[in-house]
Amino acid sequence: MSWRGAAWLAALLAAAPACGCVPDFAGAQRTLAAGRYAVAYRAVPQKIPLGQHFALELAVCANAGAPPFEELTVDARMPEHGHGMNYKTSVRRTADGRYRAEGLLFHMPGRWEIIIELRAAARTDRVTQSEVIE
Amino acid sequence: MIRKLLCIVLFAAAALPRLSLANDGGVLEFSAEELRRVMQHGPWPQAWSGDPSNRVSGRRDAIDFGEQLFFENRLSGSGTLSCGSCHVPERDWSDGLARGEGMQTLDRNTPNLVNVRYHRWYSWDGAADSLWSQSIRPILNEKELASTPQRVAELVRKDAELACHYTRTFGRPPAAVADDEALLVDIGKALAAFQETIVAARTAFDEFRDALARGDRSAAARYSLPAQRGLRIFIGKGNCSTCHTGPRFTNGEFHATGVSFFASRNRVDPGRYEGIRELQKSQFNLLGRYNDDPARTTAVATRHVDLVQRNFGEFKVPSLRNAALTGPYMHNGGIGTLREVVRYYSELNVDRLHADGEQLLKPLQLSAQETDDLIVFVESLTDFRTNWKRSKGGEPTCK
Repeated sequence: MSWRGAAWLAALLAAAPACGCVPDFAGAQRTLAAGRYAVAYRAVPQKIPLGQHFALELAVCANAGAPPFEELTVDARMPEHGHGMNYKTSVRRTADGRYRAEGLLFHMPGRWEIIIELRAAARTDRVTQSEVIE
Repeated sequence: MIRKLLCIVLFAAAALPRLSLANDGGVLEFSAEELRRVMQHGPWPQAWSGDPSNRVSGRRDAIDFGEQLFFENRLSGSGTLSCGSCHVPERDWSDGLARGEGMQTLDRNTPNLVNVRYHRWYSWDGAADSLWSQSIRPILNEKELASTPQRVAELVRKDAELACHYTRTFGRPPAAVADDEALLVDIGKALAAFQETIVAARTAFDEFRDALARGDRSAAARYSLPAQRGLRIFIGKGNCSTCHTGPRFTNGEFHATGVSFFASRNRVDPGRYEGIRELQKSQFNLLGRYNDDPARTTAVATRHVDLVQRNFGEFKVPSLRNAALTGPYMHNGGIGTLREVVRYYSELNVDRLHADGEQLLKPLQLSAQETDDLIVFVESLTDFRTNWKRSKGGEPTCK
């Protein structure tokens, strides 16, 4: 393996959740372990704008033995400010087998926490990811 | 003698920073982070784009027609009021009153119309999602113009001047439109086309911001030091730019900042909570049949807006451009001057805030100097042109 190949593999391993599946999403900005699942996402546009609507493209995979998830929801909060968004996102499956969350809008600068929840078999797996908006 | 010399040396030493500031063009040393924040408030003006939900947006005929309609008293039920009765050009398109005066006294302060094209939501409660649908609301509101779709449609069909404008703008005579409501929506769209043209010019702040952007400290030094100090408070200690974001100095969204929402002794103004409810049931919203954009590209906010309990008592964050010209302030006009607004936030009573509201709000505890500086800064966001004149003096223009 060339040094480039090794570096790529190392980066992939570092980004992937430990001991779990890796969503098939080459352009993902974040890859996160979410309990029985793993989620990768990319913002559209890639730099999340302040005060304008944006979308998230998501890919999900299930770890070995996990049931197919029944519901995927996306929300966001500003933990330091004690409030969330003024909008409720909608999530739909896209033709390529991924998901698209629409209706997100971060109306203030600062640290936002994106909250992704997957529900299956009467349990919810939840993962959060901080994004700082300037 | 020695003592005198010492005094001179000490005085010179004390004056050095000031002299160095002057030699440097009188520009404060903003940190990289401060400069980044300053840059976010420009450039101005913003790029123009038409409203895809309004098929006559940006068209000259529609703008002329909208101007005619804006000052047309016969649109009102009484025949005595027009949009221009409250949105007075010489008063920066507001009225200078604490609360608007239509057919009755309103619960809220009259918002000015400057830069109204750029809004996402209209009115203090965001009950409208387009400028054209907002233009319809006061026409029908019994406390404002108290008119009806039938009255407006009949006026436009029967008055030769208005019918001529309508035909020129919409490509068909009003008599050919049997649906009064559809005709009223067209009137709203012509009114919107006119109001879209009301855009503030560049201000002293814009000149300063752009001078910093191009590294021209000499030009930047024309911006007064109190304004620069006020700007530093605005983007720093004051946290003002957390809500008053971007080139328009507003995030266009809604917050509860502890201002009373009692409209009278026994009645509350629910603010955003009722605004969302009204928006969602309105046949004029962007999800409805009157949106001229089949793709509904500007309806994302309407489709996703979320009604939650904390919306109660929230009101829209006003733009600060031209704020110096548009007092009294707050949704209810309850604060008379900019100085009192700054004092309100400086001495904020946190007991009045929502328990689940914005945690960032704290009393700013500004000194007298800081208060003065912050006011000078807000005043520097003013476009002082107040010489707007009606085209052709308001005389008939359509034949």
